[in-house]
Parts: sequence; structure tokens; C-alpha cells
Amino acid sequence: MSDKSRRKLFNVLTPIAAIAVGIVIVFPLVYGIFGAFKSPAEFSSYPPTVLPKSFLYTENFKNAMNIMPFWRYMFNSLIVASISSVVRITFAVLAAYAFAFYDFRGKNLLFFLLLATMMFPGDTLLVTNYLTVSQLGLMDTYLAMCITSFVGASQMFMLRQNFRTIPRDLRNAAELDGCGDLKFITKVLLPISKPVLITLLVQSFITSWNAYLWPLLVTNSAEMRTLQVGVSMLTSLEDTNYYLVLAGVTLSLLPSLVLFVIMRRNINKGMTAGALVG
Amino acid sequence: MNKTRFFTVLLCLVMVLTMAAGCSNSSDPAPSNSGSELGKDPVTIVFWHSMQDKAGAQLDALVKEFNEGPGKELQITVEAIYQGKYSDSVTKMNSVLTSNNKNDLPDVMNLDATGKVSYASSDAAYTMDDALKADADYDTSKILKAALGNWNYAGVQLGMPFATSTSVTYYNKTMLDAAGVTSAPSTFADISALVAKIPETTSDNKKIVALQGSPNTPSLANYIGQLGGYVVDKKNGSEGSATKLTCVEDGTLSKFLTAWKAMYDAGALEVTDPDTDAFVAGQVAVLTTSSSNIETLIGKIDGKFELGVSNYIRVDDSATEGATISGSCLVMFDKDDSLKKAASWEFVKFMASAESQAKFAVATGYVPCNSGAADVQEYIDLLDEYPQFAVPAAQIAATPDTMISVTVGPSMDFYYAIQNNVSDMLTNNLTVEKTIENMVEELNGLLDQYNMANPS
Amino acid sequence: MESNGQGNPSVTIRRSSKVEKTKKKRRFKLRPYLLLIPIFVFAIGFIYYPFIKTMLHSVSTVNFKGEITGFAGLSNFKYLFTRKDFITALLNSLKLTVMTVPLTLLLCVVMALLANNKRKLSPIYETMFTLPMAVSMSAKAMIFRVMLHPTVGIVNHIFNLDVGWFLDEKTALIGIMILVVWMGLSFNFMLLLSAFRSVPDQLIESAKIDGAGYFTRLFKIQLPLVSPTLFYILCTDMVLAMLTSGPIILLTHGGPSRATTTLIYMMYASGYGSSNYSMAACISIIAFVLTFAFMILAFVFERKKVHYE
Repeated sequence: MSDKSRRKLFNVLTPIAAIAVGIVIVFPLVYGIFGAFKSPAEFSSYPPTVLPKSFLYTENFKNAMNIMPFWRYMFNSLIVASISSVVRITFAVLAAYAFAFYDFRGKNLLFFLLLATMMFPGDTLLVTNYLTVSQLGLMDTYLAMCITSFVGASQMFMLRQNFRTIPRDLRNAAELDGCGDLKFITKVLLPISKPVLITLLVQSFITSWNAYLWPLLVTNSAEMRTLQVGVSMLTSLEDTNYYLVLAGVTLSLLPSLVLFVIMRRNINKGMTAGALVG
Repeated sequence: MNKTRFFTVLLCLVMVLTMAAGCSNSSDPAPSNSGSELGKDPVTIVFWHSMQDKAGAQLDALVKEFNEGPGKELQITVEAIYQGKYSDSVTKMNSVLTSNNKNDLPDVMNLDATGKVSYASSDAAYTMDDALKADADYDTSKILKAALGNWNYAGVQLGMPFATSTSVTYYNKTMLDAAGVTSAPSTFADISALVAKIPETTSDNKKIVALQGSPNTPSLANYIGQLGGYVVDKKNGSEGSATKLTCVEDGTLSKFLTAWKAMYDAGALEVTDPDTDAFVAGQVAVLTTSSSNIETLIGKIDGKFELGVSNYIRVDDSATEGATISGSCLVMFDKDDSLKKAASWEFVKFMASAESQAKFAVATGYVPCNSGAADVQEYIDLLDEYPQFAVPAAQIAATPDTMISVTVGPSMDFYYAIQNNVSDMLTNNLTVEKTIENMVEELNGLLDQYNMANPS
Repeated sequence: MESNGQGNPSVTIRRSSKVEKTKKKRRFKLRPYLLLIPIFVFAIGFIYYPFIKTMLHSVSTVNFKGEITGFAGLSNFKYLFTRKDFITALLNSLKLTVMTVPLTLLLCVVMALLANNKRKLSPIYETMFTLPMAVSMSAKAMIFRVMLHPTVGIVNHIFNLDVGWFLDEKTALIGIMILVVWMGLSFNFMLLLSAFRSVPDQLIESAKIDGAGYFTRLFKIQLPLVSPTLFYILCTDMVLAMLTSGPIILLTHGGPSRATTTLIYMMYASGYGSSNYSMAACISIIAFVLTFAFMILAFVFERKKVHYE
């Protein structure tokens, strides 16, 4: 087979393979969303079906929105997730910048100390943090819900990996031009790292959006609760009314999906090349 | 210029954070009114609960009814707050108790078995006994005895039963009728006898199993209790911290294990947790699980077959009928505010009243803890439409006082130790004696370890 | 040794220690430390402080309320090591890590390569690859429970299987592994895609002109250039795998017969769920030490194999 026709075959097969893989990967999600449209009897029927009988069955959604104050919870989740992700990435960028572009005493030690925070099982920190927040008088505030997410060692790590691929020459050249650290970060570094940055921001947002236990612990009033707590109000004690929970989950997916679209557009714009020379 | 820029950014961040801290919506608690009388001054009490789904909706309706009715007359407002499932709300309660900040405690809390011991040993508990001392007129005889007894620890009545359920047997009545079995299965032997009578596979060629089950702490408490014994000492840990298994000396454990093994050898038993979906699909003939499932099951079965509900199965005919109680109760806290305590008690009494219990039962399938509910029209209508609901109520009434649920410190470990040992016996073909040996070693070991860390 | 910006590796020229010290003094900058302050303040307050408190629990007797009642030395650890479920938990955690991490890496690379070149259909499959990221862990676990149900589950139905999945002790861990791998694919794919797409086209083109075949280009150019991202995925996935507990708590409760009991699940069930705080603390310390050890190994590996520009 000649090179050209091999390449043509490749160009046809690859997207097909990609779509096939995509279907496998997204199938559980789609199945879940379809489940939100099934009635209780339909859901547990045998043999099991993929498609619901009718997409007009919105009982589950109606019930879900009745049981929890959906819009208020979504608003709270939006605020908490936004603040958490922005602060987390900000701190992470600063730290990653320090580790990538500076040499200083204790650098490796400090880096590992931060990495270590990733490895502490979260449950062990819960009760003590609750007490700390309580003593600081922060119960029932947005800050309380965000505060434990400000340290993103994982994000810092990824950013450091990314920053290290940028040659120090660039930094030195900028310094010679009178460019300070913050200017360099905002004018040069962030634009170059846009894809990774946006990915991490979205990931942090989604992680915070999906948090359940911590927001539950530090809030007492119904007005401050977040969406995931609301979704848990939909589960019954017997734990088998998936259809209702799936309706709640589908509803709570909406903002994440919006973010997705925004993210994709920004990443596809590609990086601003040209700042790097050879 | 760099340093200024840097600190400007930092300052902005701090400002954002402070704003976030300020943006809260916590309602200030009503000023403390100790010494004032109920009805003379307004009071707000905080109610933590774990009711989800339909139960949550019905609970909110009841709270609203109270606030607009008896609460209004006495100037009491109840603020009901969902606190996650029971394990999460108990974690929260424990955290608050540790922080010693009484103001963060609720006034009334919906508690289940996992929070019993913490509550009882805290010094902020305003128990039902305490409330009864101040309100000697209240008649507790209407409250189901077995339900009351479940929330009694070390001789103290901790709280008022609220959402009461028990374990019952579900069976596929249509399948059994077709097999010529007219009475509900009552003993293990009945189950074993089913194997020969029910079809081997469903119409879709899926294997049919007579019984699904994997014994754990509550079911063991039932089986042993029916035989007249206790699983652990101190009356199943209700009088104090249990120290050892007692079902070995009186032979009840051996009796149970032998009969359970016999069912397995007869091919009647599938060793797995009860799976309601498989039951609904017609692949399981008999199932034992909580009575709170009745309504969901009826909904899922959707008329495909008739749902039979009967008393919890027993080891053999020498065992009494009955099963232990599960569910949740309402407990009160002492925040050094007599007005709030009085208001809390009024609310608790309302939630335990015949009308409230009847409404709650109709909406959720829980058993009313107030015998007066049998006279409330809504509940009567419910029983007419779904006679299955009458079974758990009757079973609770018939359960002997000696059948008490098990309370042990290392609850999860204990639960899974029982489950794993019994399933090991079946799948690895161990003898009953060896299994008992293993169980004694493991379970007593767990209790010892717990008692070492928690000397009473 | 990293290059110091001038492109020269440090040459071993002996300088007199006095000159060295002055050079170091002049080069001391406050700036990096300032940049690290924000993240460290919160790390100390909300992560280190609670964790140290936990470490105290592991060497004390703790009652069911979580209060320390005495000093226990290493006896808690000794008790932990004698429990037969501890070895099972340890092995399960290791099994999970060893099997899911390479699989995730491999699948992500394949996915990223498939999606690398932008085509007309790109938005479709790129979205399909990344969508699962948006859903919470508990929702994903619940969907899997419904799908992998032995009798009414869709998977067994479509493939005509009779596998017990989460209800069978032989396959429960495999079910968890599939779930864990699936959960990790989306995010890692995104990062890897960015990394692959930032490989300069000129390099690939000139390699093609030099006659390098697909696999040569892959192994000699693309993979080395994306190795920083690969390394990140390796480390974070290892940590996540070792600390897996969420899906297990929701789906299998460590069973059947402890087939899916991992270290952190044991911490949850036998520690917190059984009012045994000291044991919970011991397990979390052991999990941390093991995970940290893996990380150190990975970083040793980094020096040899990971290429930054």
C-alpha cells in the first residue's frame, strides 16, 4: 500500500475509531440521563432497556425540584465553586511559578511538603477542620465552604510541570526588559499556559461543585446549602430510587455543561505560539 | 513596583475573601428566654433531621402544620433543617459536642441507632425522662411499647420514637400460589420446601432462587431473639457496654447456623444482600428486609405479581414471632434555656400524636408509633387500599419485650464480621462449630478492643 | 542538576567557601518565599494541623467520642497489624493501584493520539471523551451500580454475560477497577491532549522529511515532549488509586467477603464506623507513608526519563 493511500486510510479510520471509543466512554453518562426519564417501574423492569419509553416523562424532574429548593442551591453552589476554583488556581500559579523559575533554599523540601498534602486521606481532616472553622466563627458562610479547597497541590503540580517546559531564557529576557514577576505571570506565562490553566480551573470548579460532605458540615441553614446536598435529599433510605436521583444529577449537570462549552472554545483557540523561539 | 503590585493583588484577594465571609445568611438565634413561660414569649427552636425524598416532604408538611397550628398558639416556631443522612448528621452532632459549643446544637434532633450512645453519654441531653418529669400528665401508654423500648438506653428513655420500621418477609404471592403454597413462608424449613415447588427459571431463562440473605447484626438479633436469646450481654448492649457474645452458651447461635446451613445445602439460599430489583424481576421468591420498602416495592412491581408481606421468618416453630425495631427517634438537647426545652417537648409530642403519625405513615410507609393512629381516617384508608401495611404494625405489637436491637461500639466491624463469617461457613464449607469458634474470637475481640479504649 | 538558565550545567570548580557564601547571600531572594505564602498558610491551617492531630490519635487511646484518654505508644499499630483484614486491605489497595494506573495511562495516550489531529468530527468525540468529568463521583458510582447489576443491569444483558460484578467476590474488585479507570480518563485525556497539541508541528514535519515512521516519531519525539504531563498523571493517579474509598463505600461496602476492602475503606468502616479513632489514624498514616513512598519512587524515575524543554 502506498504511503498516500495508507495515510488516507488512516485519516478515515482514526475518527471512526475515536467515535467508537467515545461512545463507549460516554455511554454510562447517557444511560444515566436516560434513566431520569424512566418511571420507577420502568427503571427496574426486566429485561433492562436503554432508552426510556418517552422523553416526556418529567415526573422525576418535577419531584426533584419540589423536594429541594433548586435555584437557591444552584446559586450557592455557583458562588462556592467559583470562589474556590479561582483562589485555588491563583495560589497554585504563584507557587508553581516559584518552583519552576526560582532556585532557593529548601525548594525541594517545600515542594514535597505541598505534594504531601495530596496524600492525606480527606476524612481524617474533616472533624478538626470543622472545629477550626467553628472557632473562627465562620460557620454558615461561603468562606467556610471554600476555605478547605484553597490548597490545590495537584493543580500546583501540573502547573509546575507546565511551567518547567518554558525556558528560563524567556524569563531572563523579560527581566532584562524590566518585567517584574507578576507582570511576567499575567502577560506572558498565563497566556501561554491557557489550555492547561483553563482545564485546571474547570476541574477545580467541578470538584468544588460536586462536594457534598464538607458543605453539609459547615452550613446549618437551609439557605446556604449547595446542590449536592440537595441531590442527597432525593435519595431514600432504601437507596434504590435512582430515577429521582438521576433527575437531580441531570439538573445539576447543567452549569458544568455550560462551562464545558466555554472551556472547549478557549482551548481550541490554541496557545499563542511565537513567544518561544526555537 | 513589583512588590506593590504583588501586595495589591494579595489585598484584593483578601477583600474578596472577607466579602465571602460576610455574605452569609445565618439567622441569629432568638434571644434566650430562660425563665419565661411557654406561650407568653415567642421562641424559635431548631430541628435537625435526616428525612429524604417523600419522608422529607411529609416532614416539612408536618412542621408547617405545627408552626401554623399548635405552634402559633404557643408562639413556637420550628425551623427544620436537613442534615444529610443519619451517619452524616451524627458526625455533625459529635463534632459539635466535642467543640463544647452548646449554642451550635439543635433543640430537637432526628436520631437513629448510630447516635444513641453518643447522645446518651453527652452532658447536653434533655432526655424524654427529663421532659416527662416536668410534664407528668402525658400518657405514654398510647406509644408502642416496643418502639419506646428501642430508644431506651441504660434504663433511661432517651427520646420519642418517630419513624418506626421493622424487618418483614416479602414474598412473590403469585409465584407461591401457582406452586400450590397457600400460606406465607414462616420458618427456614418452609423456605427449603419451596425449592421443589417453584419453577427453576423465569420466562427469560434466569435462575429463580428461593431466598436471598446474608445475616448481619439486626437479622441475627431477630433470629436469636425469636429463639429467646440475646446476641450479646447486657441485654444486647442496651443496658451498658456489651462485653461478649451470649448466644453461644445458650445454644441459640448453633441452632441458627445449623438451620441456615441446611437451607443453603438444600439449594434454597443465595448468599447475597437482599436485592429488591431481582425480586421485582421475579428472580427471587422470598426476601427479608425493612418494612419501609412496602410502598416502593408496590410501585416497582406495578401489578406484575401480587406482593405478599408476612412476619419475619424464624429458625423453626419453637421460635416466637417478632422482629426488632429500626428507624429513628426524636431527641432533645439542653441548652440551658427552659423555654426552648418546653417548646421542644411540645413539638415532640405533636410529632408523636396520632394524627401526625398517621399522616406520616400514609406518606412514607413507616409504622405509626401511636396506637391512636388506627382511628385516623387517612390511616384506615391506607390499610384498606394496601393491607400489606398492617403486617409490620401487627408484628411490632406482637413482638415480645425481650427482643431488643443490638447496640455495640464497633458497629460496622461487628456487622461485617457476622456477615463474612456466615458466608465463609457456606462458601468454604466450614462446620458450624468452627464457625462459632471464629465468630467468638473475632466478635469478642472487637468488643474487648472497644472496651479497652472506653472503660465504663 | 537543573540548568541554571545560562544553559551550562554546574561545573565543579572549587571556589573558596567564603566567596561561595557571599555569592549565595547576594542571590538570596525573598520573592519565591512570598509567592509560596498564600498556599502554605492554608496548607498549614487546614491540612497539616489536622493531620498532626491525627498522628497524635494513632499513638493514644481514643474513646468513642474522639477524645484522647491516654498514651498508647505503638500498641495501636501492633493491634492493626494482627487484624487479618489489614493484610487484605493492603493487598487490595496495591492491586488496585498496580492495575489501574498503567491502564489509565495507556488508554489516555491512545485517546489523545486518536484525537490529536483536528478534524471535522473532532468536537464530537472530544466532547464524548471529556464529558464524564462533569459528573460527581457518587452519581458515576450509582450509574455503574445500575449498569453492572447482575440481573437487571444493562451490561450483562447486552453482552449476554452472567457475571456477578459487585455482588460476586471474584469480580467485585474488577468492577471497581473499571469504574476507577473510567472516572479518571476524562480529565487526564484533556491534559494529555493539550500536551500533544503543543508539540511543535515543525518538529514532526522535519522528522517526517527525515523519513521517521509513525512509531519512531511517537517514541522519540511526541512521548518525550509530553512526558511532564504523563508524569503528572502517573503521580496523581497513583495517589487516587491508593486512597480509593468513595466508590467502595457507595457500591460494595468493602465486600463481598472483604474482596474490595481497601486501606481507606478499612479506615472508614473499622475506624470511624466502629468508633475506633485510633485505628483510623493508624491506617491513614500507613496509607500516607505508602503513597509517599510511591511518589518518591516516581520522582526518582522522573530524573531519568522526564524531559522538560
